[in-house]
Amino acid sequence: MRLSTDEAFRRYADRVYASAFSITRDPTDADDATQDTFLRYHTRNDEFESEAHLKAWLLRVAINRAKDLSGSFWRRNTTALEDYMETLEFEAPEDSELFRAVMALPEKYRVVIHLHYYEGYGVEEIAALLGRRPGTVKSQLSRGRMLLKNALQEEWNDDES
Amino acid sequence: MTNHERYQRAFSTLHPSRQWNMEGTEMKQSRKRYLPRAAIVCAAVILVLALAATAYAADIGGIQRTIQIWVHGDQTDATLNVEAGEYSLTYTDENGVEHEEFGGGKAFDIFGRERDVTEEEIREQLDMPDVEYLDDGSVWVYYHNQKIEITDKFDDDGVCYVKVADGGKTYYVTVKYENGHCISEDKFVSPKLFN
Repeated sequence: MRLSTDEAFRRYADRVYASAFSITRDPTDADDATQDTFLRYHTRNDEFESEAHLKAWLLRVAINRAKDLSGSFWRRNTTALEDYMETLEFEAPEDSELFRAVMALPEKYRVVIHLHYYEGYGVEEIAALLGRRPGTVKSQLSRGRMLLKNALQEEWNDDES
Repeated sequence: MTNHERYQRAFSTLHPSRQWNMEGTEMKQSRKRYLPRAAIVCAAVILVLALAATAYAADIGGIQRTIQIWVHGDQTDATLNVEAGEYSLTYTDENGVEHEEFGGGKAFDIFGRERDVTEEEIREQLDMPDVEYLDDGSVWVYYHNQKIEITDKFDDDGVCYVKVADGGKTYYVTVKYENGHCISEDKFVSPKLFN
């Protein structure tokens, strides 16, 4: 299957952007990674087995692109996280606290946490998507949860699968 | 409310600020050229050592310069514009697709003062080895006309050490799988020292 680029953007741009942001913590870089991801999609004519396959491909490209950006010396525009957060419309105050706590995590935990809690991926799927060993992802997920629990206390449940 | 629900609610506030625009994308691919922060730290040493090195680029003159760059092992003409530490680089690949790269940055002198990177420094950066992850999962290091696949060369810690040399220059590239790379003219930089 294959969607038009417009349709793929309509369906997945928010997810692609959120995944990229979980790496870059910068809206300009996340925007760049999003545009680059859909540009790559647009210029390729690959068929995908399913929408799940397409989504995983987009997220993988976005994450790799975001990693390139976040490690870049050539970053021209950076926005302070607090400044950017002031532009976001959180439904509840605890949402911004969770957002801030996740952004304070080291990248290797942040992206694993994001793929698990936002995208609903399990350990094996995250490992395949990031090219990491399942054991590594499992320990990073566990460590990330512990750090979130320490930061958020009762606002974060003891979970979970 | 579960952690999943709480997380999704918090992060559903994120939306890209730019919409997808197909205009101009058919024949032009645009990207920035990115280098790991650590690479520029190494490069700062390189710059001192390489100021007297002969640039392979050929100046045409004027504000725009036509230079030759290496793209994935092939040498091609490119147009370089540099202004106030920012640059744009355009070239056409073997498939006739026009590519446009943007970049720029700041450098720090030995007193810690910030300044725009110079054209010389930008050219040095453009000429350094590059690492690319392809969609098929393979990983490649490019330097001038050399294309080295390192997909299966990573050790148990996900680190690969690659030495490349050409024209009297030797670079030592430490690659951390999907976690950046560092380039030095002197020695392999420890993976613990970057990212």
